[in-house]
Amino acid sequence: MTVDKTPNHIKLLAGNSHLELAQKIAYVLDATLCKVYVNQTTNRESAVTIGESIRDEDVYIVQTGCGGDAINDYLMELLILIHACKSASARRITAIIPNFFYARQDKKDKSRAPITAKLIANLLTTAGCNHVITLDLHASQIQGFFNIPVDNLYAEPNVLSYIKENIINKSPNEIIIVSPDAGGAKRAASIADKLDKSFALIHKERAKPNEVSKMVLVGDVTGKTCIIVDDMADTCGTLCKATNLLLEEGKAKEVIGIVTHGIFSGTGITRINNSNMSKLVCTNSLPLTEKLKESNKIEILDISGLLAEAIRRLHNGESVSYLFTNAVD
Amino acid sequence: MKDIVVFSGVSHPNLTERICRDLSLERGKVELKKFSNGETAVTIKDSVREKDVFIVQSGCGHVNDNFIQLLVMISACKTSSAKRVTAVLPFFPYSRQSDAPYNHKGSPLTSTKKSEYTFDSIPSTPRPMSRSDFTTSGSTAAQNNIINNNTNPSLVKSTYQPKQIATNASSVGSKGFLSITGYKSWNAQSGTLIANLLTCAGADQIITMDLHDPQYQGFFDIPFDNLYSKPLLQHYIQQYIPNYKDAVVVSPDSGGAKRATAIADNLGMSFALIHKERRHKVDTPSLTAQAINSLEQEDKLVAKSQKLIATTMLVGDVTDKVCILIDDLVDTSYTITRASKLLKDQGASYVYAIVTHGIFSGDAIRRIKQSNIDKLISTNTVPQEEHVKELGDMLEVLDVSRLFGEAIRRIHNGESVSMLFDHGW
Repeated sequence: MTVDKTPNHIKLLAGNSHLELAQKIAYVLDATLCKVYVNQTTNRESAVTIGESIRDEDVYIVQTGCGGDAINDYLMELLILIHACKSASARRITAIIPNFFYARQDKKDKSRAPITAKLIANLLTTAGCNHVITLDLHASQIQGFFNIPVDNLYAEPNVLSYIKENIINKSPNEIIIVSPDAGGAKRAASIADKLDKSFALIHKERAKPNEVSKMVLVGDVTGKTCIIVDDMADTCGTLCKATNLLLEEGKAKEVIGIVTHGIFSGTGITRINNSNMSKLVCTNSLPLTEKLKESNKIEILDISGLLAEAIRRLHNGESVSYLFTNAVD
Repeated sequence: MKDIVVFSGVSHPNLTERICRDLSLERGKVELKKFSNGETAVTIKDSVREKDVFIVQSGCGHVNDNFIQLLVMISACKTSSAKRVTAVLPFFPYSRQSDAPYNHKGSPLTSTKKSEYTFDSIPSTPRPMSRSDFTTSGSTAAQNNIINNNTNPSLVKSTYQPKQIATNASSVGSKGFLSITGYKSWNAQSGTLIANLLTCAGADQIITMDLHDPQYQGFFDIPFDNLYSKPLLQHYIQQYIPNYKDAVVVSPDSGGAKRATAIADNLGMSFALIHKERRHKVDTPSLTAQAINSLEQEDKLVAKSQKLIATTMLVGDVTDKVCILIDDLVDTSYTITRASKLLKDQGASYVYAIVTHGIFSGDAIRRIKQSNIDKLISTNTVPQEEHVKELGDMLEVLDVSRLFGEAIRRIHNGESVSMLFDHGW
C-alpha cells in the first residue's frame, strides 16, 4: 500500500452481530458509529447501505462470529460491508472479529474435510480487507492463513488482573490453574507462570467433536481453588465434566472457570447452571446480555477497551505488542 | 460417464436428484450439517481425486447459509484434489443489484401490517434472526449495559455513559438518511463480490440460468455458462396455450422488454409493454390513516411531503385478448400482480404469468392468490413444492433438470453448449 501522509479519521462500522461491543468501542475512542443499514431483503439476501462518506478514511468494521443460525448471515454481512467500503474508496479496511468465524475448522483432520478457517481468511482478503484484528484465536497458526496482517490480541493480561484482584485477594485457599485439555495447556501454563501458581492438567480422550469422553486429572488439587482456563465455552461439556472431576476425584474446594469466548450454544447455559462451578467469567467478545438473564453464574470481563486501544494504536501507526503484556481497562 | 461426481447442497436436493437421474448417475455422497454453534459442517464422503465435480446449489431459502455452504463444499473438493469444480447455481444468489437506497427494513419497499393485508399492500421484510437487541433503540440497548450487572466494583466502568447518538441503524430511526444532505447513500453492489468469493473458494466454472443482468457474466474471470429457459417457456406457450398466436406477450416492466420481445418474435406473437414510473412525486399524502399511525411522529412530515408512488401505464392493446406476462423472476410478486391488475383493467380476458425463477418471498403467495393472474408458470430453479401446495392448480412447474443435465454432460465431454441456447432440451 502506498504511504499517504494526509490525515484521515477512524470510521467505526458495526454489523448486526454485536452492536453493543461496537458502541462501547466507539465510546472508548470517543467516536460515533458510522451510519450504516445492514439488513435483509425479503428473500433473505443481506443488504447494506452506507449513509456517510468514507472516502480515504480508516475504516474499522466490528463483527463477531456468533448467532447460531444467523452466523453465516453475519459472515456475509461482514464480507458485503468490506466490499461496500472498498468500492466506496476507503483508504484502509480493518475487520475486527473478536471471535473468529469457523476458527475450529482449521485443519484437515480427516479425508476431504474442508479447512474452512483458511477459506474464511481467503474470503476476507478477496472482499478487500486490509487488516484483521482478532482475539485469542483458537489456533494462532490461523494467522498464517492470511496474506494480510493479522493482530491476534490476547485476553490474558485482562484475565491476569482479574484473577489477581478478584480471586487471589479474596480466596482463603491456595490457587491452582487448570487446563481442561492438553490443547490449552500452553495457555494455562503461561497464566500459572505469570501468577507464580501451580498448574494441573486434565487429559481427555475425545470421541467426536462436541462430545467429551474419559478424563484423567494430572496434578494435585486437594483443598485448592481451581481456576479452569480455556479459550472458549461452547456446549460446556468439557467445562462441566472437568468441574466434576476436580471436585469429586481431585477433592478441590472450589472451581472457577475463565474463558475468552462464551459461545454457549445448545444447552451450554443450562449445563453451567446445573454444574458445581461457582462462577464462569467470560469476555464480551460475543453478545451475552441475553445469556446473563438465564444464568447468575456468568460474569463479564469487558474487552472493549483492549480492542479500542488496538484500533487507536493501529490508526496512529504505533506498536500493538504493548497490549500483549499489559491489561487495558 | 467416467470421473464425474455431482453433489447437492441442502437448497434443492430434488433438482439434483433429477439431474443425476438424467445423467444416469448416483448422487455424490456428502454429509451436510451444522455444528452446535451454527457453523456449517461439510464432509465429502466420495473420493473426488482427479474427478470432474459439479455442485448444485440454488440461491433460495436461507440464502447466506446456502451460499457459504456452497463455498465450503467447493473449497473442500478443491483441497481434496478435484480436477475441476463447477458450481451449478440454477438461481444465482445476489443477482439483482438494487440501485435505489435500501430503507431501514433492508428493502427498497416499505412494510405494512400483515393483518391489514390488501391487494395493494406492500410486502413486509424479514429481519435477521436473534436480533432482539437490535430492534430496541441504540441508547436503551446500551443502558441495559451488561457491565452494570456485574457485582464486582473493580469491573464496573462507573463513568460509562453512552452517547445519545450511537448512530447505527437502530438509532437512525425509520426516517432513514433523508435528513442527510449532500451525500447519496452508498449501496453495496454485491455482484463482483459474489463472483470473487466463488472464484476465491476454488470454483473453476459456473453454470446458471437466466441471469437478471447479462452483465453479471463480466464479473467473473472463469468460464461462465448462462443457460436460457426461453426454449422451455416457448415450448409451454406453443403446447399448452390454446390459440397462442392470438395472445399478447406482455413485459411487466421495461427492463424485461428484451426478454419478452425475443419470445414474441420467435413465436410471431404481438407484444405489449407495461411502463412503470417508479418515482412519481405527489403533493397530497395518499397514505391510509393506519399507515400514518404506524409511522413515527417525526416521519409524518417527511411522509407527507416526500411520498413517492409508482404509476404504471400500458403500451399496446390487450382488449379481449389472452395476455402472457413474461419475467425472469418473481420475488415479492409486487410487479407482476400490479401488472396483471392493469391488464385486466384494460380488458384482458385471461392472464398467464410465465417466470423463470419463482422465489415468492414474503407475502408473495398471498398476493398472487388475490391477484388477477389466472395461471402462473414457473420453472423449478428453486424448490416449488411448497408453492404448489399453497397455490394448487394455479401454479404449473416446468422442469429444468434436463437442461442442466445436458449442459453438465456437454461440459464434461467438452462439447459445445450453445445448441442448448436455441433449442433447449
